[in-house]
Amino acid sequence: MIRSALASFVITAVLLVVVVGIVLVPIAMHMPDPLAVLDMFVFGPFRNPRHTGNIIEMATPGMMCGLAVAIMLRAGMFNLGVEGAFFLGGLATVATVLLVPLPGWAMAPVGLAVGAVVGSSVCAVPGLLRARYDASELVSSLMLNFAALFIGLFIVNYFLRDPTAGAMVSYKIPNDARLPRLVAGTRIHLGTIIAVAGCLLGAVYLFMTRAGFESRIVGLNPAFAAHLGLPIRWILLRSQLIGGLIAAGAGGIEMLGLYQRFSWQGLPGNGWTGVVVAILARDNPILLIPAALFLSYLQVGGDLISRNFDVPNEAVGLIQALVLLVVTSSAIMRNPRLLRLVSGRKAAANKTPGPKVAEGSAA
Amino acid sequence: MTNAPLVAFAGISKTYGNGTLALDDVSFSIAGGVIHAICGENGAGKSTLMKILFGLEQPSSGSVLLDGKEVAITSPRVAAEQGIGMVHQHFSLVPSLSVTENIVLGQEPRRGAFIDRAAARQRVVDLAQRYNLLVDPDAVVRTLSVAAQQKVEILKALSRDVRVLILDEPTAVLTPPETDELFERLHDLRAVGLTILFISHKLREVRALASHVTVLRAGRLVGDVPLDSVEDDAIARLVMGQAERPKLKRGGRVSGAATVTLSGVSLAARDAADRLHDLDLAIHAGEILGVAGVDGSGQRGLVSVLTGRIQPSAGGIAYDGHSIAGLGTAALRQRGLAHLPADRFHDGGSKRMSLVENAIAGAHRLAAFSSGPFLKRRAMEARTVQMIERYNVRAPGPRAPLSALSGGNAQKLIAAREFATEPRFLIADQPTRGIDVAAAAFLHERLSELAEKGCAILLITADLDELLALSDRIVVLYAGRIVARMENGPDLTPERLGPSMLGLESAA
Repeated sequence: MIRSALASFVITAVLLVVVVGIVLVPIAMHMPDPLAVLDMFVFGPFRNPRHTGNIIEMATPGMMCGLAVAIMLRAGMFNLGVEGAFFLGGLATVATVLLVPLPGWAMAPVGLAVGAVVGSSVCAVPGLLRARYDASELVSSLMLNFAALFIGLFIVNYFLRDPTAGAMVSYKIPNDARLPRLVAGTRIHLGTIIAVAGCLLGAVYLFMTRAGFESRIVGLNPAFAAHLGLPIRWILLRSQLIGGLIAAGAGGIEMLGLYQRFSWQGLPGNGWTGVVVAILARDNPILLIPAALFLSYLQVGGDLISRNFDVPNEAVGLIQALVLLVVTSSAIMRNPRLLRLVSGRKAAANKTPGPKVAEGSAA
Repeated sequence: MTNAPLVAFAGISKTYGNGTLALDDVSFSIAGGVIHAICGENGAGKSTLMKILFGLEQPSSGSVLLDGKEVAITSPRVAAEQGIGMVHQHFSLVPSLSVTENIVLGQEPRRGAFIDRAAARQRVVDLAQRYNLLVDPDAVVRTLSVAAQQKVEILKALSRDVRVLILDEPTAVLTPPETDELFERLHDLRAVGLTILFISHKLREVRALASHVTVLRAGRLVGDVPLDSVEDDAIARLVMGQAERPKLKRGGRVSGAATVTLSGVSLAARDAADRLHDLDLAIHAGEILGVAGVDGSGQRGLVSVLTGRIQPSAGGIAYDGHSIAGLGTAALRQRGLAHLPADRFHDGGSKRMSLVENAIAGAHRLAAFSSGPFLKRRAMEARTVQMIERYNVRAPGPRAPLSALSGGNAQKLIAAREFATEPRFLIADQPTRGIDVAAAAFLHERLSELAEKGCAILLITADLDELLALSDRIVVLYAGRIVARMENGPDLTPERLGPSMLGLESAA
């Protein structure tokens, strides 16, 4: 299973390199020293430990949000609440460590737990609506992200805002609550280990537990799940609760790992990255790790050339847009579940029973 | 050149990309103006051979000769130019277009830049009259019965001036009277000089229609004989490559107490195929109760209410005298329900999951296969290997995806899973549709065995041979009602069932 997923993973990655080349080469040609631009993009991230560290820091929330998406996608749920859950999880974590009097050692674990539970609501509510009323989780979660954003900004502004900071940011996160840094000279923090462990646990959950097995049955063939009498609604809800907890926990980890204050003024975009990571990894939790690292590498390389050369930031955006396009479109070509989603989810449900003879496929 | 056969296959071999040898040095010829049957189990290579003739597949070696000349049939377009037409098992019609539009599609008569609709319609009317295949040229295809759609398919092929018409298991979707009508039309077509290649694994039909039969087994040619020179048994032996299909004939054994009773069950549904009206029915321990009926007569609704997928809108169902109102599929499975669904890949399993996962799903919460939240993957695999051996499933290995199996082997695996629960009540919905003779015979034996052990079995099938071979009693469904109840016996024949299946006669 891993081997076949790996094959398409490699194909996609090669495709990405080609695409990036197609965008980057013409841009580089306009520069006085085109080779230096390419060199900076490709090798720059590895010349300086700080930049290499950036890749890993950036990949950390990517892995976790990717894991959240993959677990939901495996159950057939395209829940985009990861973005809002990440945001709200970060905020609730910071709010907990700022407002609740806690001993220093308990700040991070309690803060992260509260953040995960509160933030997961952005995935859980669409999940409930889906389980209870068959409302499309795609639409409701997309909308709920913005509700989460503005509720969050309201809370920051009225309850957490540090009036002396000069911007709409929270008070400083106490040092005791911060996650320990692991590598000197970089900002790599404990969260990276949690994320990698999370991906491994995610693989165990999906492939070695009863609950994961059931969610894969529902995701691959709901009609089969119904035939077996599996509690489909509960399984769908469960996968979205788990996904929400992971995404919201990732938001908290991001805050305690990298930030001094809660300073997000908009949705940070890590949830969207998670969707791309999950699709690139073909919903395989183990492959989330290289997928997230690869996307972060592109991002860091892009940031480097826009900082050091006269390459407009928009060019980096263009590269990212193309990356997204390639990743999602190749997934659409190969993933029947997404294909179904794109071509209308009713198509699968209304499949008329008829003689289905596998003569051709057997011969 | 006049002596050359119309179609000749010379040393055709076909190896697929995954290494499967689908055809192994097959050579035979087809004379012009006859109905030539091609017989064989699923996976014997019939379809592959026809796909090669129709240009959908290319042979790995060997060649196809038309009128003695080697022709490279590289695409269906080339096949059409050579006068070869094919009616697929799954129709390739556009449901929302009219009969006329479907038939002229791709070769529309034009007037300037526009389609000449009057000419198109006239062409279809002429064609239908010439071949006595009467369909309403203005009807929307979606609204037509399966048999009528098949006529449209045949007309579409004929409109392309074919010399050779390939029919891939054309009767799988038809009722007996419809089959008879199709056969008459095919005889007519042969009479006007058409050559017909008829693929089937039903010997009765081959006998009724063809004059020559070619038998393939495991990709090799094992027989190529005129039909009047062989007995049915001999052909069956060629097809199966072993002992002939045992002739089960049960009948009249109502043994134990009623396991499942339906009293006054009705189901109101938007789709007519789901509607039920006031059904009274009891299925007893140890009997096989056959349900006959044209597709869409309420079978699907009956299965839905019996498996707890849908609650009946009126009436009650009881298992062992206890009402099951409000219980879902899971609860009923715990009470001994098992179900072989009609669409094996849609409901019966998950194509992209492994055989292990397909074989154990449903039982995975039992202590044998899980401890705490974890699955015992080794125990699951061991049990699956056992099932594969016991049910003689031809599979590359337990970790292969279900999609790697042929229809018959997939059905055997699904049956292994369902029967492993030692069910007290089994719904077998089209248990052998589209699978090969050997697998069907195997499943028939298992069904019989289950009944012997006291399981109550509801057998829903469109295959009347199967129905008559297995059932103790038979009820006929028509438009959601039971219109006839019969004891099975030697004197019960498909001809006697036909009228009630079509609603012409009610004996309830």
